Amino acid sequence: MPEKIRLHGRCEYPGKVEAEALVAPKYLQGFTNVKPMRGYTTERNHPLFKIPYTDKVLVFYSPRGSGGFLAYGFGAKPAAFVHTKSSPLTVGCALQAHVPMMTDFEDDPLKYIETGDIVFVNADDGYIEITKKQQKAVD
Amino acid sequence: MWKEPALTDDEKRILQGEEGTVKQKCMQYLVEMCKISGADRLVDLDGTGDMHTPGISLSQHYNITFEEIKDFADKGGRFAIPTFADKSPFGEQAPIHGWEHCTVCFDMNPKLRHDDPEFHKKAMHEEEYAVLRKMGLITTHSCANYLTMSYLPSVGQHCSWFESSQMPYCNATLGARTNFDGSLATCLLAKAPYYDMHITENRLGTVLIETDRLIKTDLEWDVYGFAVGEASDVEVPVVMGTSRPTTTQYQKFNSAVATGGAVRMYHLPGITPEAPTVEYATGGKPFKKQVMIDEAVLRNTYDSLNYHTSDDVDMVYVGCPHLNIVDLLGLSYKLDGKKCKIPMWIMTAPWLYESAKNLGYLDIFEKAGAHLMSGACLAAMGAVPGGVRSIAVDTAKQAQYITGCYPDDDGYLQVCYGTQDDCVDAALSGKWRGEWR
Repeated sequence: MPEKIRLHGRCEYPGKVEAEALVAPKYLQGFTNVKPMRGYTTERNHPLFKIPYTDKVLVFYSPRGSGGFLAYGFGAKPAAFVHTKSSPLTVGCALQAHVPMMTDFEDDPLKYIETGDIVFVNADDGYIEITKKQQKAVD
Repeated sequence: MWKEPALTDDEKRILQGEEGTVKQKCMQYLVEMCKISGADRLVDLDGTGDMHTPGISLSQHYNITFEEIKDFADKGGRFAIPTFADKSPFGEQAPIHGWEHCTVCFDMNPKLRHDDPEFHKKAMHEEEYAVLRKMGLITTHSCANYLTMSYLPSVGQHCSWFESSQMPYCNATLGARTNFDGSLATCLLAKAPYYDMHITENRLGTVLIETDRLIKTDLEWDVYGFAVGEASDVEVPVVMGTSRPTTTQYQKFNSAVATGGAVRMYHLPGITPEAPTVEYATGGKPFKKQVMIDEAVLRNTYDSLNYHTSDDVDMVYVGCPHLNIVDLLGLSYKLDGKKCKIPMWIMTAPWLYESAKNLGYLDIFEKAGAHLMSGACLAAMGAVPGGVRSIAVDTAKQAQYITGCYPDDDGYLQVCYGTQDDCVDAALSGKWRGEWR
């Protein structure tokens, strides 16, 4: 069995889901810089430009900019949100998305999660569990 | 799991539906917001409200029908705090004035255009606004509502606003307290989740931002704002190295800092109301980090906001955030007796449009071939006029957002970003000559 990394955090929106992670190495921004019905960011020069987040665990530090960040919670939305810092922008997104969302972890999840890792988000019990992609390939 | 917020007896009665379904849905929505944000209670609002309108649907999950709100209004239901409409009506976001010149297609249906009288009439949503005005909604329709509200909150008052550039205006410039939550729910109940900027200690400065250039021009305030935002993310910056900002510069800085980052509160020591000194601004606590935004960072920020390979410009757009009356006066000086070679659109707050008309600025703009509009925003409309491939703007916010509307052909829309003078020069010449100086 591959080793799982468990991080405890705060539930912003409850639920449990397991899915592949998509990690944003830069702040995410909404409003015109996301196409919610297509499920990707459209911010120019962003590392995730047009990379689909639909049904993924979207992992990021925090949002920036417009309250239109809540559009990440519409349409072709992620399976779950995992982020380092909360703000009224993430609250607005959770109000729309109604999918598991977690923040305020014991350690920064960006230190542990890479794109392609499998992440079990258990917001009901207040933790995430990460299975590294290399381990999964060997397993 | 979630923690339940502590509600007062009155709040519980509203939640149980004893004051009707409209207030019940509003309270359900606020209770859910408390759980998500971790707020342990609601705070009573004694300031003002600001909301995207019509805004009858609180979210995908809490919908108040038009019949419900009409019935509520007919029975005497009113907003519980002075409440203002920001921006032009959703979802079309049509200009309130000057729409006859607005050749942008509706982004949700390109067969419809904003200069079509029938489309414009529907986009004004008069039936809904008749009800909302009866309830007390003050339809200022501006992203820079503070320019025309004529009723600003005072230091320490709890508010509920909703417009990114207005967050720092309310919190930092005015010293009132708001989170990003202005809605029918907060404004009808005069209550909001008690977290983040409502709490004194969360407003203290946590990062120190310095620069080696004296920030004094409108462009410098705008570029510095974007860079401060990027350096601060969700922290509260104490910002050094500036002159005393004009109203225009506050508008620029507040919109830029909430675009480059998630800054909803900052301190300018000796200038903003909660920062008589650095020590007061921080509560005497040490900074989490110190950041130097030097000349190289400012230049890089300016360059990142420019996104063009050609100096040819197809269109000029100024008025993000909506222009104040002094900016309109300045533009009238610059355009008096001139002739624009390419389309130039000037956006202001609806209640300033009539003032600009009465003062003679509108006539000067029209003679110069420039179009004054109100209430709207190109990025919010989600498009530029057909055929425009390069646009000149004077605000970091518009430069950052407008290209997001065109993801399918990378580089389809180019952006020239600089001063208002650079934009006027581009309007008169069709060429971009702006640069970081």
